[in-house]
Amino acid sequence: MGIEFKNVNKEYGSTSVVDDLSLKIDDGEFIVLLGPSGCGKTTTLRMLAGLEPVTSGDILIDGKRINDVPTQHRDLAMVFQSYALYPHMTIAENIGYPLRVRKLDKAKRAERVKRVAAMLEIEPLLDRKPRQLSGGERQRVALARAIVREPRAYLMDEPLSNLDARLRVQMRGELKHLQHELGTTTIYVTHDQAEAMTLASRVAVMMKGRLQQFDTPMNIYNYPANRFVAEFVGSPSMNFIEESPLTKGIRPEHIQVLSEPHDGAIAATVYVTEQMGNETFVFLTVGSNRLIARAPADFRADEESQVWIKIAEDKIHYFDPVSGERRATDNTD
Amino acid sequence: MRRKIAQGSRYALLTVALLFSLAPAYWMLTISLKTEVDQFASPPPWFSFTPTLEHYYDAFVTRGFGEYLFTSVIVAVASTACALVIGTLAAYALARFELPWRLNRRLSLWILSTRMFPAIVTAVPLFLMMRDVQLLNTRASLIIVYTGFNLPFVVWMMRGFFADLPRDLEEAALVDGDSRLGALVRVVLPLVSPGLAATAVFCLIVSWNEFLFALVLTQTDAAMTLPVGIAGRVTQYEIKWGVMSAAATVAIIPILMFALAVQKYLVRGLSMGAVKG
Repeated sequence: MGIEFKNVNKEYGSTSVVDDLSLKIDDGEFIVLLGPSGCGKTTTLRMLAGLEPVTSGDILIDGKRINDVPTQHRDLAMVFQSYALYPHMTIAENIGYPLRVRKLDKAKRAERVKRVAAMLEIEPLLDRKPRQLSGGERQRVALARAIVREPRAYLMDEPLSNLDARLRVQMRGELKHLQHELGTTTIYVTHDQAEAMTLASRVAVMMKGRLQQFDTPMNIYNYPANRFVAEFVGSPSMNFIEESPLTKGIRPEHIQVLSEPHDGAIAATVYVTEQMGNETFVFLTVGSNRLIARAPADFRADEESQVWIKIAEDKIHYFDPVSGERRATDNTD
Repeated sequence: MRRKIAQGSRYALLTVALLFSLAPAYWMLTISLKTEVDQFASPPPWFSFTPTLEHYYDAFVTRGFGEYLFTSVIVAVASTACALVIGTLAAYALARFELPWRLNRRLSLWILSTRMFPAIVTAVPLFLMMRDVQLLNTRASLIIVYTGFNLPFVVWMMRGFFADLPRDLEEAALVDGDSRLGALVRVVLPLVSPGLAATAVFCLIVSWNEFLFALVLTQTDAAMTLPVGIAGRVTQYEIKWGVMSAAATVAIIPILMFALAVQKYLVRGLSMGAVKG
């Protein structure tokens, strides 16, 4: 099912939360809205769900304008950050709620609840209440409630942010697999770039209510449209060197740190090193610039010691120092 | 040792409080069971007297207190039900919908302001209005007046309970395909049921005990409530203490039973909103 935002604006009083958003999502895509908190991504999702009125512009589903269609008739399923499980109902009743509202008879309801519960491996929990469940289990129940009917699209508002790191990675994989299996259009909101990179078929990066870039994860990483996208995507983030006439951007993995002087290498001072186990981040001072480099796990250097760095010239990104827009003066474009 | 003293003093204080509040009730109960001779004996026999049910017989068989009781039940239950339905819907709207011109706040204050003047101020206008629509001496007049009287209370109580409830739950219900009203009935109301029960008890007590409007709006047995009926036994020539006490004792029972039935909710309802969780 295709979804389209056409020049959508959202204002609260005089503050603009979403500014002239245009976005076209194809059927079956997994779209991630990525941005820092307050960038308007959740508001965008809520406008699509009908939980927030649109100030101006149109939202279309399959070519039909849905601005004035009330939430309950939009046939979308949403997973909330808080999971929003009904505390007074059992898990089975929670999952079956969308079917009960649609007046599906009891036997059919029970059968579909069971099937979905089996799919998400929560069958033993069906008779319990939400408060008796762990965070990960609640997350699965929320997902089950969303997929128990076949909605036109899934909307997910930071669904993994309340889980611990290990579980988050596991659920991320399961979500991706599930979406692939169901093939339903999914719009996923997060501020976690790792989720965006791993899940999305395309990522929409937003800042201050404006869409910055809408592209595949790899293109966003390799060809960031502006300085904000370059800085926000990638961990540790891209290094910037203010030069005239353009600002240079270099990813940490494109800086090679050497213990010995080398042809074309620049001298740098080690500020601090962080050993991550599988790699080492080296924080460097070069003249008045601070840079972060990604070095192999066994790299060792004392603080304040002298090292040499080599920058991969063909991997440098150039940005306009005023507007922050990408400039195609490098040879990778 | 210190804990024992603390506990001891706690029980002592509770005993004093109980004595203070229960003594009049005990006095009333004994009067209702005493013969007239015992009622006026000095010093009064606190425990040792021959109990009699003659006043109960007098009140509910000879006189029409049974009918007053029936009227009281109808009026209290109906007005509480009306106030809960209307007030809950209004409270939900005020808590959840954003109205223009900051009406949420203003309307809430207007609603509350109807309770800021003494009730007697409205007694005469209400009497005239009820006379014009020919509702004097009817149960309907009392139901209408008590509903109006309880509404501000219901709206303010329930508004607080709704406001404390996370919006996510209703929004989830809407996305799941339920209507606003469906979400209210199936998701919201079950979650605020302790608050609803507490509010209902207050409304019932207020309607049950109300005296002023019942006195002004009803003069005949057709729509006389218990408080008015009881007070009516204070006549020019005698005061029927026994009959009054018997009727008053019976009047306590329905409210007491209802409060006991919803006691579990009551404690949670009164403390809801105090702590989020």
